Amino acid sequence: MVDVDELKAKYLHLEFARSNFVVSAENSATLARLAGETRLQYTEPGHPDFEIFPAYLASLSAGRHLPIDFPSLGGIPVDGGKAVTSILPVPAGVPLKGRTHLHDIYAKSGRSGRMVFLVSRMEISDLADTLLALADSRMVIRERGTA
Amino acid sequence: MTIQCMADLEFGLEFGPWIPDTALESASSAANAVGWTNSARFSNHEGARKEGHPGALVPGILGMGFLCALIHREIPTARIENIDTVFRAPLLADQHCSVAAVITNIDAAQLTAELDLHIRNVAGETRIFGTATIRMPR
Repeated sequence: MVDVDELKAKYLHLEFARSNFVVSAENSATLARLAGETRLQYTEPGHPDFEIFPAYLASLSAGRHLPIDFPSLGGIPVDGGKAVTSILPVPAGVPLKGRTHLHDIYAKSGRSGRMVFLVSRMEISDLADTLLALADSRMVIRERGTA
Repeated sequence: MTIQCMADLEFGLEFGPWIPDTALESASSAANAVGWTNSARFSNHEGARKEGHPGALVPGILGMGFLCALIHREIPTARIENIDTVFRAPLLADQHCSVAAVITNIDAAQLTAELDLHIRNVAGETRIFGTATIRMPR
């Protein structure tokens, strides 16, 4: 069984990925419209206050991103949830930067064994390094051999 | 009642249930919009079953989108400062679900409120739940 405290000591808050990207206003608006969003600042790319839909920001942190030397826990990671914190409106169509680190590691035990939760956090900023939003992705891994 | 300002909010005030569009075409389009195009899980029931799923799935981020939309529909002046969702079990495409929320805390001094959120399937099982913090105009 992996020692969660050791993992936290070694990996928490260490940046392990950087990316540069531009979000398409139309793609974000499409997701917002499909979700049933009614606020025009999310659904109409031509709106003067258009900004990226929060759920679209959540997709930016998707994927099984872990530090390259992170140990295998045995099970297959599944998507356990997403979170978004909005600090400033995130514009579409402009270069943005994402910096990702492991924000939390914890475990829960149940009848079928222990589940390890890994929360990776992408800090989304503009090219001036102004922090705009945080996008968290929660991965859940069922440890093998603990049932 | 349309909620416009902080004074309109009350502890325990419930929103929904609202029935969003969970059609397979919408689930697939949502996956395409965020670039998730290399899997059948969001676009094809049969293909999703071959991947081990009970059917084509509604992307979790679309579920989060339903929750954001509910907040904005019911509280048009709210700004979502934080939304945290737990994907407890998959939402299936082409199956109805209901989206609801309840106010669990109000901080009038900070002009913020907290909500509990959930999405349930037709059997009444919670598939996605979470919390949100919204900021309101005075």
